[in-house]
Amino acid sequence: MAEFGPSSLASYLIVAGILFAAGVLAIATRRNAIGVLIGLELMFNAAALQFTAYGRFRAGAPDPQGQIAAVFVVVAAAAEAAVALALLFAVYRTSKDVDLEATRELRS
Amino acid sequence: MIETLLFAGCALCAIAGALGAALVKNLFHAALLLGLALVGTAGLYLFLEAQWLACVQVVVYVGGILVLILFATLFSADILGAVQRAPWSVRMAGWLGAVLAGGVAWRLVQVVLAEARHLDRTRSAPGVADPLTTSGGAAAGNVLLSSWFVPFLATGLLLTVALVAAVATVQRFRRPANGGSEAIRG
Repeated sequence: MAEFGPSSLASYLIVAGILFAAGVLAIATRRNAIGVLIGLELMFNAAALQFTAYGRFRAGAPDPQGQIAAVFVVVAAAAEAAVALALLFAVYRTSKDVDLEATRELRS
Repeated sequence: MIETLLFAGCALCAIAGALGAALVKNLFHAALLLGLALVGTAGLYLFLEAQWLACVQVVVYVGGILVLILFATLFSADILGAVQRAPWSVRMAGWLGAVLAGGVAWRLVQVVLAEARHLDRTRSAPGVADPLTTSGGAAAGNVLLSSWFVPFLATGLLLTVALVAAVATVQRFRRPANGGSEAIRG
């Protein structure tokens, strides 16, 4: 097993894996839509970290395209957050209740 | 040695922040812990010689998205700790989610270790190539404006469409109307 440290690929990938799993956990367990959004951001973040780590440790020479992919992930996350929060805002405005939990419980 | 300690600190920030954001009951605290995870990841980017990406991470994620999420938590009634009673079915779903996430984490770590063992044999030592031309902000900018130029423009278009859509969504549901929430349910 590769040793833990800044110069081993495995340590970055393990951190990214744990971030991704935490995102899955948040999405699967949160009842509030904002909690689900937080989980989504964690998963996006894990993906960007993986891209960058693989680009840095590419066989031969470091490859900046990993960073480019990570930037695209960040942009996608920003667009997703904007749209999701607009939807949340619309739900709050129309249901006359600021609590999304209450909105959900009224529905069922 | 000091490098390893700093790296461990960043990794610990990222992991602790992520687990806390997933597990803490208080939504406001969860959003703050998400910020900790994002800052820890930015530190990891510094170790990957992606200083520019670390700046982007702090400015866009922590400065933009996290502030948006913190703002959105203020809509929630129970931000300051009044924890809601979860019914039995939801708690069961929570345990199922924990098992699922544990399985995902276990499998990812297995795959990653096998992969890294393979890659460690083939990659060159870090820092061999000239960092100014093969990694870092200058190289990333060159690649972004040459072979990734069209996706870069498409990204700008995506952001514009997303922001216009966000504004349009809010405008459309601005006035409470009968059955207005029906449209959003799907």
